Order: sequence, then structure tokens, then C-alpha cells
Amino acid sequence: MTPRWKVGLIGGLIIAVVAAAIYFPILRRRVKRAARLQQQSEEQARRELTQPVTINPGDPRVKTKLFWGSDTDDSTLVPVTVELPLSNDPVLRSKQVLNTLFAGPVDADLRTLPPDAVLLELYILPDGTAVADFSEALATSIPSGIVSEQLAVDSIARTLEANVPQVQRLKILIHGQEMETLAGHLDLTGTFIVNTKPAQTPPKPGNR
Amino acid sequence: MLDLAAQVRRALEAQGFQVVQTRQGNENPSFDDRSATANAQRGAVFVTLHIASTGLPGTVRVYVNSDLPAVTEANGLIPWDRAQAPFLGLSQKFGDLVQGMLAQRFKGSPDNARTAAVRQLRTTAAPAIAVEISSVVVEDRTALDRMAPGVADAIARGVAAFKPSYVIPAGPGALP
Repeated sequence: MTPRWKVGLIGGLIIAVVAAAIYFPILRRRVKRAARLQQQSEEQARRELTQPVTINPGDPRVKTKLFWGSDTDDSTLVPVTVELPLSNDPVLRSKQVLNTLFAGPVDADLRTLPPDAVLLELYILPDGTAVADFSEALATSIPSGIVSEQLAVDSIARTLEANVPQVQRLKILIHGQEMETLAGHLDLTGTFIVNTKPAQTPPKPGNR
Repeated sequence: MLDLAAQVRRALEAQGFQVVQTRQGNENPSFDDRSATANAQRGAVFVTLHIASTGLPGTVRVYVNSDLPAVTEANGLIPWDRAQAPFLGLSQKFGDLVQGMLAQRFKGSPDNARTAAVRQLRTTAAPAIAVEISSVVVEDRTALDRMAPGVADAIARGVAAFKPSYVIPAGPGALP
């Protein structure tokens, strides 16, 4: 090989390496972006599949306790009572109270749950375990820490306990998956006790 | 966090305790890896340190694991995923002692340890607590730097106060 060819070959290789160095980060960003968009669209599709749970004004109005943060101690919950028309069907009723809980209190500082998180689906198993599937925002938008993660789960569990007596335990899924923790601390592999009393039928309107 | 851990380590060593850290640098061992390190020790207590961005600033909370069904296999071994169950009583006592020390230094902190389903504690076969400092913004380390010596000292004194009541299980499979 002549020196001229060698120089040409080395030059070509250098150009190829420089081009790869420039192109690979761009390619990596594109792949990451595509993955993120796919994830978002999956969640969007899931939301669209989920039938919105509307409150039926024809349902009997009952005093509903929703558990949000306290304005005096930010590590405790306080019940706020509102009158809502709630279904007698425990699954529908659970969805109604949790959707109202997620909508948040008037004072945003008392929120225990991220504003962009939503309940995707909820089932109640025959043994009284409510399996609640939340959007990823519940795990990704919540401030990380034991106190904030515990408050989030407690607000869901206490709200179900106060309003849906059929629910005995709560199992939390994120985007359809079982997670090891909510945001790095709180254990989601088991169930949370909601109600230690035996399952009852919901109280009649006006009795709460 | 590692600076805080180093201060806790020095405070414990000053009390005559041997300290094993589950990580030394920026590596991120799994929950089970950390528990494996702790469970390999005999007569140990386990302290996991956390910093929260919420909660009343300048306060510190101690958590012990929520109730777990205590199950022992027929062979006397404790199931890994419920390793903390036999130690819950000791953990509560340990947690209350440390929380009491912290409450003396950091006004507004609770007097007693709270319970929570802390993942790290569940698989730890020893008296185990989580200590969480509130509320520290990551960009501003000064608040944490100010609190760290007091937190370290309170933990070390809590461990020392707990030591006389920590009865080591007599043999394999025996529960405290």
C-alpha cells in the first residue's frame, strides 16, 4: 500500500469515527424519545379504554369522608366530609370516592396524591381485596420519602375504609404492574389493611 | 447521604460498636443485597437513613415495619420475605429509644417511632429502623449539614440504650 493510500485510509477512518461520535448521541436521544412516546401512548390508550366514572346525580347523596393532609401537621391526615351521590355498587362506589380524592382538596397544599395521577382501574376480589391500578404518575410524581409515600397510601386506604365497607384490603398496582415500592420506600408487594371489621353492606343514605 | 452515614458511623464507633455499611460509595445495592449484608451479622441492629423533601423542616422520624404475619417454616427457618416479623417487638423498642433521643434534639419530632411498610425493613432479620430527616432540599445541603451531628449522636445513644435489652436468639431458628 502506497503512503498516499495509507493517508487516505486513515483519514477515512478518522472521519468515520468522528461521524459516529456525533451521530450516536443523536441516535440514543431518538431511541429514548421514541421509548418515552411509546410509554406515554400506552398509558393514553389505557386511559381511553378506561370508562370514565361519572357521578350519577340520581344516586343517593351520602356524607363521604375524604382523607387529605392536615394543615397543622403535614404528616397526618384529616377527614373532610362532603356530600356526594354515590353508587351502592362497591366497585363503582370505590372508583367514585377515589376519583374525588384524586381531584384533590380546595387547598392544593393539603394534597396527598400527585395532581396528574389517576385511577386506571379497580376490582374487588371475593375476599374483599380491592386491587387498584394507578397511572405511573402516582409513583413518579410523588415526593420521594417514607412520610409522603405513607400519606399517599393511607389517604387512599382510609378513604376506602370510611366509604366502602366491603373493602378489607388494598393492593396497589402501577400501570398494571406490581411494583416493589411506591417511590423507593413504601412496600407495594403486599396488601394494606383497610378494614378489620367483617364486610358489610353500605349504609343507607342519611345514616352516615 | 454518605456524609451523614459517615457521621453516624463515627458516633457509633465512639460508643464502641462495630459498623458495617451496606454501601460505601454511589453504588446502589438492591434491598435484598442490603438485607443480606445485615442478616449475615450476629447480634446486629439495622439502621437505614433517609432524607425527605416533605415533612416539617428540622424534624426527624423513626419508622419500624408494620405488622407482618409471623411465620416460621417447619425447619425453624424464617422466610426471607418476612424476616423482620420475629423482630418487630425489638424493633419497636429500639425505634422508640432512638426517636426519644431525636425528639430531645429536634423539636417537633414525634416522641415515639411510627409504623410503615418500609420495604428495606421487611427482609431484615434484626431489630431494624428507618430514620428519615425532614425536610431537606437537595440543592441546599446546609440544613442537612446542621442536623447531621445531632442525628448521628441520637442514633448512637439510642443504640447504646437499646443494647442491654437486646437478647440474641439462643440458636438457629430460635426467635428473640
